[in-house]
Amino acid sequence: MGYYLKEREADRFLKELSADYELYAPVKMKDDGMFSDTDTVRYGKIAKASDIVFDEKSDYSFKEVLLPLSETLFFFTENQMKEADGRKKGAVIFLRSCDLHAVKRLDEIYLKNGYEDYYYKRIRENVKFVLMGCKSCFEDCFCVDMGTASADFYGLSMEPKDGGYQLDNKYAEWDGILEELCQEKLPVTPSTVTETKVRVTIPENLTLDVAKSGMWDEYDGRCINCGRCNFACPTCTCFTMQDIFYTDNGKVGERRRVAASCMVDGYTDVAGGGSYRKKNGERMRFKVLHKIYDYNKRFGYHMCVGCGRCDRICPEYISFSGCIGKLEEAQKEVENHDAE
Amino acid sequence: MMQNEYVPFFSEVKEVIRHTDIEYTFRMAYEGDVKPGQFFEVSLPKYGEAPISVSGIDEGSIDLTIRKVGKVTDEIFEHYEGDRLFLRGPYGNGFDVDTYKGKELVVVAGGTGLSPVRGVVDYFAAHPQEVKSMTLIAGFKSATDILFKKDLQRWRKVMNVILTVDSGEETKDCKVGLVTEFIPGLELSDVSKAAAVVVGPPVMMKFAAGALLKRGFAEENIWISHERKMCCGIGKCGHCKVDDTYICLDGPVFNFTKGIRLVD
Amino acid sequence: MDINTKALKKNAFRVTKVRGITASRVRVPGGHLPTEYMGMIKAIADEFGNGTVHITSRQGFEIPGIRYEDMPAVNERLQPIIEGLNINQQTPGKGYPSSGTRNVTACIGNRVCPYACYDTSAFAQRIEKAIFPNDLHFKIALTGCPNDCAKVRMHDFGIMGMSRPHYEKERCVGCEACVKKCRTKSVEALTFRNYKVERDAKTCIGCGECALACPTRAWTREGEKRYRLTLLGRSGKKNPRLGVDFIKWVDEESIIKIILNTYDYVKEYIDPNAPGGKEHVGYIVDRTGTEEFLKWAMRDVELPKGAEVISPLYWGGIRYR
Repeated sequence: MGYYLKEREADRFLKELSADYELYAPVKMKDDGMFSDTDTVRYGKIAKASDIVFDEKSDYSFKEVLLPLSETLFFFTENQMKEADGRKKGAVIFLRSCDLHAVKRLDEIYLKNGYEDYYYKRIRENVKFVLMGCKSCFEDCFCVDMGTASADFYGLSMEPKDGGYQLDNKYAEWDGILEELCQEKLPVTPSTVTETKVRVTIPENLTLDVAKSGMWDEYDGRCINCGRCNFACPTCTCFTMQDIFYTDNGKVGERRRVAASCMVDGYTDVAGGGSYRKKNGERMRFKVLHKIYDYNKRFGYHMCVGCGRCDRICPEYISFSGCIGKLEEAQKEVENHDAE
Repeated sequence: MMQNEYVPFFSEVKEVIRHTDIEYTFRMAYEGDVKPGQFFEVSLPKYGEAPISVSGIDEGSIDLTIRKVGKVTDEIFEHYEGDRLFLRGPYGNGFDVDTYKGKELVVVAGGTGLSPVRGVVDYFAAHPQEVKSMTLIAGFKSATDILFKKDLQRWRKVMNVILTVDSGEETKDCKVGLVTEFIPGLELSDVSKAAAVVVGPPVMMKFAAGALLKRGFAEENIWISHERKMCCGIGKCGHCKVDDTYICLDGPVFNFTKGIRLVD
Repeated sequence: MDINTKALKKNAFRVTKVRGITASRVRVPGGHLPTEYMGMIKAIADEFGNGTVHITSRQGFEIPGIRYEDMPAVNERLQPIIEGLNINQQTPGKGYPSSGTRNVTACIGNRVCPYACYDTSAFAQRIEKAIFPNDLHFKIALTGCPNDCAKVRMHDFGIMGMSRPHYEKERCVGCEACVKKCRTKSVEALTFRNYKVERDAKTCIGCGECALACPTRAWTREGEKRYRLTLLGRSGKKNPRLGVDFIKWVDEESIIKIILNTYDYVKEYIDPNAPGGKEHVGYIVDRTGTEEFLKWAMRDVELPKGAEVISPLYWGGIRYR
């Protein structure tokens, strides 16, 4: 059902929701940028509609709500393990179409792929998604080519229009309040991008042999293995476990998991000092092929959703979409090499 | 109630067998199905977890052979006196002994690589009639690094055991040389149908598998076990993923045809 | 030719070695200007000068080759520049008032440079408004970060940008990028303990490397601007020396107040027979003692919370004699 809400009513709607949910949306974080006097847009709690940043792409993704950067799993004493408490409230997450597609990727890993993840599931079960329509693409977006530019599986859509907001609701339990608050009921279709400036074509004949191409070597020098691309990515799901203790000699502590990056040193370290993929180019190859090759091989669709955050956040101006663009030649290179 | 795979359970240390200064086997109380080659996440709260493969399976217990090579294992060696460790698992696919039944079987193990296959060797040591023939080639760096010495003595009685060290003095029971050197001379009635299991450091596995292929083994009759940083053990954390394979879920035991194609 | 050299010097012209020829000195506070003024400077140089311009060591332009009689015409042409650069001026149309106090210089600052902790030019312009015109010999410079590209320690007042790091533990994933950067590029104030980062506040110089290195925004910069203020560096023919740290984590208000207070102190204690009425502040302090100087400088200054005053102050430097 479609609704038009004026600013004040939109705020009242959000206030209603906040009785049962924490509301998360892209917000402007003042002085949060790496440089002085620069801001970021990333996910934070909101209280009113004007807190939501609609006209910029968030630097980091919504995934932090479902997979906190640092999350306590359980506490331990000498004789006991105590599971960390879950959140009291559910969550409503405002996100764009590409990100809604990313949720499917997170679910694939955390709800399927062998085991269900207890901590993810208990948050995920109480999450509702609000689609933020995109009127036009941003600089680095390539969602259209990744097939994620539209998503009809949203629960609610919301976007600014004529000083208010237009919403399309599929959550039956919210229709009551929306009907009460709305100025007008009307058919609403969330805005969708149909073309992007950045285009990608993933070669269909790609094989793992492309790993042998010389194309990866340039990243040895260019990449600084900071991991920003992974931390900003809405589909990267890796983590590392940490055990910490509260006092030097105490027996009390906690085990937690923190987001991990396959670009950062230490990711593949095994006990005894061994590690794999020492060069940054190898790490780049591992990441890129996971996003657009081997994830697809395992799960039947590409992991990358084309949000372009990795491009935007890279301090070394390394473009992921640009890298995809080199794959076709690289595949030819390795095939010719094998033919010789 | 949802299962929380991350919270470990206590397990009593029933016995500690010291092989070398840095390699102990912990016999842990455990009831439940487990296969050789599977692994447990062994943890000491405060210090973290380490994936350790099952080196022996008995009524009411499992053996975990731990090599002291990192922070967690260092601490386990220091602190196991508490009589118990925390475990999660078993994880991974493990070896399926049925695969090798009725075959001429060659097991090639390097160093601690003997741990994950020990269960396989033990099984056929107990049921020698279930294989056509059985050879174990076990290689260690030096005489002081040899693991499972008593087992090796025991196994000698029922199978062909070739024990070798990379360097040192040759003795009646122990040769000197790399494991690969003993592969060409293997006596087999039909090598094309013979099966082999290779476990050890990556370089050793590569050369041993190469030697087996040269000896006439078919690729699909060779199995290997990979070691990676298996942090969660349940396909979530991503550290052990190689290409489209999660070592912790799909492995660590792989048929050579798949295992060799895993590009890190 | 009858020229009052004392008066022309106070009008930002110079007595040059060429008889009959002067040079006009155009100050650019903070070293940043809209390009339209460069066009005007060019026009003056082409019309009244010799078609060249010298970029001065204090971020101004010196237009040489001007005849003394053209000074009023040049001053008229300088007026839009003076107004555009927001220079304090007593009489419009009469040129730059000048000046024992030198142009307030600045590195490029955070309008461009990733390392800079603040907008150096804007702060320089704020100081300009507070202190000009002034005949006393003061040199002030601003630099964006402890790299000190502006070499502020060679100045009476050196202002160095600091970013007070803010650590959000919950966003830290323990990659240690900050720890490594602090160790290799700065003062090793960060240590990794219990999978989180600890900062030694005493050691930290607020360079901002942690905020630059952090991939998750666990380290950010607190919005409130803070500075390191260095004192009484100088060049010259007697005892050149580097300025020493005076206050760490000081704010803009306090800095401006301290500078203005120092003008009062100098007026009180300057050697009445100093050549040209100019004496480096530092030599006056050498004479009165540091205590007396600090008494004046800190009058009515309310330092912000967290400011650290370094005491006692010692200067070294080179003595030619």
